[in-house]
Amino acid sequence: MARARINNRIRRLRFDHGEMTQEELASRVGCTRQTIIALEQGKYVPSIELAFKMARAFGVTLEDVFQYEE
Amino acid sequence: MSMSQKTAWIQLGIFGALVIAWLVLFIINGTIFYWQDNTFKMTFYWLCAAAFTALVAMNIVTGIMQNRRKEMADERDRAIFRRASLWATGVSYSAVAALLLVLAITYMNGGSETIPVYFPLFIVIIGGVVLLLTQAITALILYGRKVSHG
Repeated sequence: MARARINNRIRRLRFDHGEMTQEELASRVGCTRQTIIALEQGKYVPSIELAFKMARAFGVTLEDVFQYEE
Repeated sequence: MSMSQKTAWIQLGIFGALVIAWLVLFIINGTIFYWQDNTFKMTFYWLCAAAFTALVAMNIVTGIMQNRRKEMADERDRAIFRRASLWATGVSYSAVAALLLVLAITYMNGGSETIPVYFPLFIVIIGGVVLLLTQAITALILYGRKVSHG
């Protein structure tokens, strides 16, 4: 059975939002910069709460930030 | 580097210092095994106790600091800590069980019915050191791997 994958467009969205820094995004969503780095590298799958905060920080929908692939 | 990562590295550092101190003692005392020399034996026990106290104290201090300052640890740190704790608990329980089994077999084969009072205490200290050490190593491995929340 193939494993599901969750991709994200955080890096792209940061640049689309005036080259928002990782530190700035981290403080907006309430996590550490290390977690933003891990998310961008695809090394962390966040909680639904953090995912929503992320989408809200960029002013987009959840699926604009995270994509679920089977 | 997050606070949890720093804590894990410091824990490994303390363990490394303990191993070096133990090796130095071994070199000074020559090829005398700890159970053959009372001074060496006591020094080793004191080293184990000191390392264990340092590790426990550091965990308490960082735990309090992370609770007070929420920005020091987030959900990823907590997810990694949970997983590392699960692994560490399993490994330390296994280590304690294995040591108790070895102790029981040794004493039953030796025909002795009494165990020196410091043996169980020593096993508990080893169990504690193994717990904290496994937690630190597992946490550092997980920080470099893919982790998911929950």
